[in-house]
Amino acid sequence: MNKTMINRVIRKIQRYKGWFGGAAALCMMAGLYVGLLASPPDYYQGEVARIMYVHVPLAHTSLLAYTVLFGGSIWYLWKRDPLVDNMCHAAAGLTALFTLLALLTGMIWGKPTWNAWWTWDARLTSFIVLLLITIGYLMLRTFIDDPEREARYAAVLAIVGFVDLPIVHFSVEWWRTLHQPQSISMRGVSISSGLLIPLMLMSVGMSLLFSYMLMVRTQMLYLVNLLDAKKGRLLSQFHLSKAES
Amino acid sequence: MGFFKIMQWVVWKDLLTEWRSRETMSSMFFFALIVILVFSFSFSMDQQAAQELIAGIIWVAFAFTGMIGLGKSFAVELQDDCLNYLQGCPGSKGALYLGKVTANFAFMFAVEVILFPMFIVLFNLNVIEEFHILLLIFLMATMGLSAVGTLFSALTVQIRAREVMLPILLLPLVVPVMIAAVEATKGALSGDSFALYRQWLELLAIFDAVFMVVSFWMFEFIMDE
Amino acid sequence: MIAISGQEISKSYGHYQVLHEVSIQINQGECFALFGPNGAGKTTLLKIFATLSRPTAGQIKILGRDAVKEKDMVRASMMFLAHGSYLYDELNAIENLQFAMGLRHLTPSLRSIASTLDRVGIGAFSGMKVRNFSAGMKKRLNLAKAMLAQPHVLLLDEPFTALDDSGIALMQEYIVERVTNGGAVLMSTHDRDKAAPLAHHAGVLSQGILKTVSSKAG
Repeated sequence: MNKTMINRVIRKIQRYKGWFGGAAALCMMAGLYVGLLASPPDYYQGEVARIMYVHVPLAHTSLLAYTVLFGGSIWYLWKRDPLVDNMCHAAAGLTALFTLLALLTGMIWGKPTWNAWWTWDARLTSFIVLLLITIGYLMLRTFIDDPEREARYAAVLAIVGFVDLPIVHFSVEWWRTLHQPQSISMRGVSISSGLLIPLMLMSVGMSLLFSYMLMVRTQMLYLVNLLDAKKGRLLSQFHLSKAES
Repeated sequence: MGFFKIMQWVVWKDLLTEWRSRETMSSMFFFALIVILVFSFSFSMDQQAAQELIAGIIWVAFAFTGMIGLGKSFAVELQDDCLNYLQGCPGSKGALYLGKVTANFAFMFAVEVILFPMFIVLFNLNVIEEFHILLLIFLMATMGLSAVGTLFSALTVQIRAREVMLPILLLPLVVPVMIAAVEATKGALSGDSFALYRQWLELLAIFDAVFMVVSFWMFEFIMDE
Repeated sequence: MIAISGQEISKSYGHYQVLHEVSIQINQGECFALFGPNGAGKTTLLKIFATLSRPTAGQIKILGRDAVKEKDMVRASMMFLAHGSYLYDELNAIENLQFAMGLRHLTPSLRSIASTLDRVGIGAFSGMKVRNFSAGMKKRLNLAKAMLAQPHVLLLDEPFTALDDSGIALMQEYIVERVTNGGAVLMSTHDRDKAAPLAHHAGVLSQGILKTVSSKAG
């Protein structure tokens, strides 16, 4: 991508991001209304189950975010677009955020349901590994001075991590089945069709919210870099003129 | 073929350097020794508890020891800008990767072989019958650790806070290796039938294969601007 | 034939631009000396020519091949002697040369290694670990690498630092030899007196801008 194309993309983002934000708000408000007020409590779990309307979409969205990060990383290594790198950086931050929230809501649900905040379930373990990978990713980015190298190394980490996650999932699943029978599994929670509508609404809304945040954050990272560039140019001009006078 | 020649040269250089300085192996060895002693003091285990915990202790000790070797693997290349020379040489960077993996594997495996008798003595283990299986587990798990570890050694060597970043990035990724190695070792040490823990060796094989390929491919992007 | 050509090379570290549209052209059998104060971007420019760093913009051709797309071919025909001397402390002089040549798919005989070491004046130390070498000896050993590899294109970053008088003469002699054999040399230095007699062209790099390019007849 050259400069004019980047500018066009940035302008497109500027114009359309509001629609995504608005659609996200509508979907999620509708989903919350149906989920919290207009539907009966779950037959088995009671009111507690309602946190699922937030938890499940959060978990889905964090996987979506990491998939975006993975795709963007491959794209970056192939084409070396700085804007794609900004998008990856944005997606990584959002992956960490959504994963953390998914874990927290999962724990809040787990306490009354399983009578434990935490269990080494395959999903929980994969999610904590996902969180560790994305935090490592964000740390790695702050420890490299050359932005080109930063982008390249970060992309490599994202790709390796993406390949690793399914293996982590399977290994923990085998490990769990070995050590205790799956009496308490998330899979046991069946979803009746009445609950499906708010869940779908929330999932779509959360994905839209992610898209909106991704756009805002990508744009912001790009502009911050641009501002740094301007600052750098002005500073060196200033030093040059001082040296000449 | 040029590819294998380069790989050979890298292995030759790393092994010869190590043979003369003994820097990596000796630091790995003494670190692991201390880890083992600290574990044996802090748990003050009886026979039964030892059987439960020993597999975990072995692999925690080996994984952390491996970190030391992996950290040094590319740090050596930073002295005198050798890394730049490696980057600027013609030919596939994959040959460098495989050479480094081989050397790192050799160091880690050698330390493990030297240390394992310590475990046998200190924790009174019974290994005679399952020795060949234990050897296989060690080979495969060490392969997995060095396959990913070599990539991350190269990735972290030119960044700030590299000593901290290597384990931070690497340990979450090798969770499957750790689980599989611990479970398989536990199975072998307690004398279970092989069929009961065979799946863990399969998992190790899958991990090794997948990450040899992925790391081999990704290494190009680490080494080449 | 044009050996080294760089067109409008720019390099930014993030948004700090260190090179501004630098263009250089060096024919076979020519030597180009790049002068300039510290921090002018000389090393960055050499690293870009050495395919160690990608330019942000611009095109580089070494012997007619694109340095980004045909990296391997370019690397095989080129050698870059930088600040660091790329030597392993625990290996001796001969082993260091064997390793360095091995990575370039070359296997010089022990005989030619020994005679090259003699030529750079460290033949007596060929079995000594490089750990015990002085900076000047390391530089000589590095020169021996170039002599063994005989690259068509030679990039030198501050070739004269750390060398004594006879070492400098050796380096100058080798540069002249390379050039008369049809090679091309690009060197960066702040030492005009030592480089000027060898150079066919000279340029001054300042604040990332190549300012004056002068050529001398012959």
